[in-house]
Amino acid sequence: MPAPQIDRTLIQHVAKLAHLSLSDAEVDRFASELGRIVGYIEQLDSLDTRDVPPTANVSVGRAPRRPDEVAPGLNRDEVLAQAPQGERDGFGVPAFVE
Amino acid sequence: MPADLDVRAIADQVRRGEATAESVTSASLARIRETDPGIRAFLHVATDALEQARAIDRKRDRGEALGRLAGVPVAIKDALVTRGIPTTAASRMLASYVPPYDATVVARLRSEDAVLIGKTNMDEFAMGSSTENSAFGPTKNPRDVSRTPGGSSGGSAAAVAGAMAPCSLGSDTGGSIRQPASFTGTVGIKPTYGRVSRYGLIAFASSLDQVGPFAADVRSAARVLSVIAGHDPRDSTSLNVAVGDYEGACDQSVRGVRIGVPTEYFAEGLDPRVEASVRAALAALSAAGCVVRPVSLPHTRFAVGTYYVLATAEASSNLARFDGVRYGLRAPGKRDLRGMYGATRDAGFGAEVKRRILLGTFVLSSGYYDAYYLKAQKVRTLIRRDFENAFREVDVICSPASPTPAFRLGEKSDDPLSMYLNDVYTLPASLAGLPAMSVPCAPTPEALPVGLQVMGRPLEETAMLAVAAAWEAIARDGAG
Repeated sequence: MPAPQIDRTLIQHVAKLAHLSLSDAEVDRFASELGRIVGYIEQLDSLDTRDVPPTANVSVGRAPRRPDEVAPGLNRDEVLAQAPQGERDGFGVPAFVE
Repeated sequence: MPADLDVRAIADQVRRGEATAESVTSASLARIRETDPGIRAFLHVATDALEQARAIDRKRDRGEALGRLAGVPVAIKDALVTRGIPTTAASRMLASYVPPYDATVVARLRSEDAVLIGKTNMDEFAMGSSTENSAFGPTKNPRDVSRTPGGSSGGSAAAVAGAMAPCSLGSDTGGSIRQPASFTGTVGIKPTYGRVSRYGLIAFASSLDQVGPFAADVRSAARVLSVIAGHDPRDSTSLNVAVGDYEGACDQSVRGVRIGVPTEYFAEGLDPRVEASVRAALAALSAAGCVVRPVSLPHTRFAVGTYYVLATAEASSNLARFDGVRYGLRAPGKRDLRGMYGATRDAGFGAEVKRRILLGTFVLSSGYYDAYYLKAQKVRTLIRRDFENAFREVDVICSPASPTPAFRLGEKSDDPLSMYLNDVYTLPASLAGLPAMSVPCAPTPEALPVGLQVMGRPLEETAMLAVAAAWEAIARDGAG
């Protein structure tokens, strides 16, 4: 496929997908750097992979089964103590529904 | 190797009562106080290290048997969570995080009576090859403080190279144990994918990440590997297969062992000093009875591109969890939910992490998935097949661990692509899931360390260790 243009618009689109608020300077910098990196990656196009299956993982064995048993989890108070904003027995977040 | 860095000797002495865990730990802490201000291998020195040591000594006083790492100080890469000990992954995102649980490998160290001496510096979220991407400043190479110790596990390598701890744990996604081992003249092992539990390893690229040891010699590293290896029900990718006799493997004869030397690894970009050192080691192994022969791994040159698609794709997904909700940083200020996510992630992540999240999100995004992500998965298959073919003819494959000796601090930090290309010899074994390690070979004329990489078939850490230990013995005898 033709190489995509890695420009400010594309970086802003991808940053939105990734929930990254970038400054204007960062958008410029990443557009230039990722342009070079993606250009390098284009070399994969020179390989004919039509009949090659993808490798998603390299495990040499089947995932072992384990019994479905209830086991103790982490201590709730210790976990909540690490939250930036605890709220009663849960995590506090900004309102997201009107 | 100084005697006080021999993991097996320390454990034996503590078990026999010839040394106390407290005295060993005190010596390690003193060495850290003296050396680390100039190296900065540690992000955090455990405040309870002496307490841990005294508890081990009391256990012995009560007549209880001590474990295989009795009283051995172990430095832990800060990507591994440690209960009650701060764990940051060298990121502002986790600057004040204190985990409520231990990684499985950490729990195994504790159960074998090791002392967790501290947490080591790294590239933020293990993304980098020089430890310069740490949010808390770089680590220096104890062999030459103007140079990097490599990365991402640079702090763990420097802790051992600086004799501040006899061994340490790192993690290796694309070479993050082997390359720093090579740069610092230490032994570093990346086990077969699935050999060691990843539970409690802060995830970078889940199909590639493996935890492994650093030590000053092969047998010490083998001891630590034998402690951390084995099935863990908490990691569904950890394999339920027998753990080998890794220490015993170090005493095996290598006469007749077939060593493949990949032609593609001795190409443009390889520093002639590194090549000379690695070729001398191979000649010595040949003289010791190994059968050294060329092999071809034709897709080697595609490994960097393949890796930087797949690893960043996985990273973009794994790092989605850092959203300011459950733990870690939340950017201050009153915002809506999306605004809070964006501001938190902008404030918490450094430039390399953002770069990789952006690249990974891009290659997975609608319209580009087939061209980049799926394509890279297919090339991964070709790279894996290269090794399968080569391993029909040889038992292990040897190469340089890195194309150059340690580069200078700042030398590559403004050029991400050049930094990525430095990983060219370690990435293929990661993509194929193979066990691989770096063992020191002769340093350059400037006394910079060089690493010989030994790669094995899946789950055949023993064959790899036998060759590494045989070379180590030759090098030691040669040095008188």
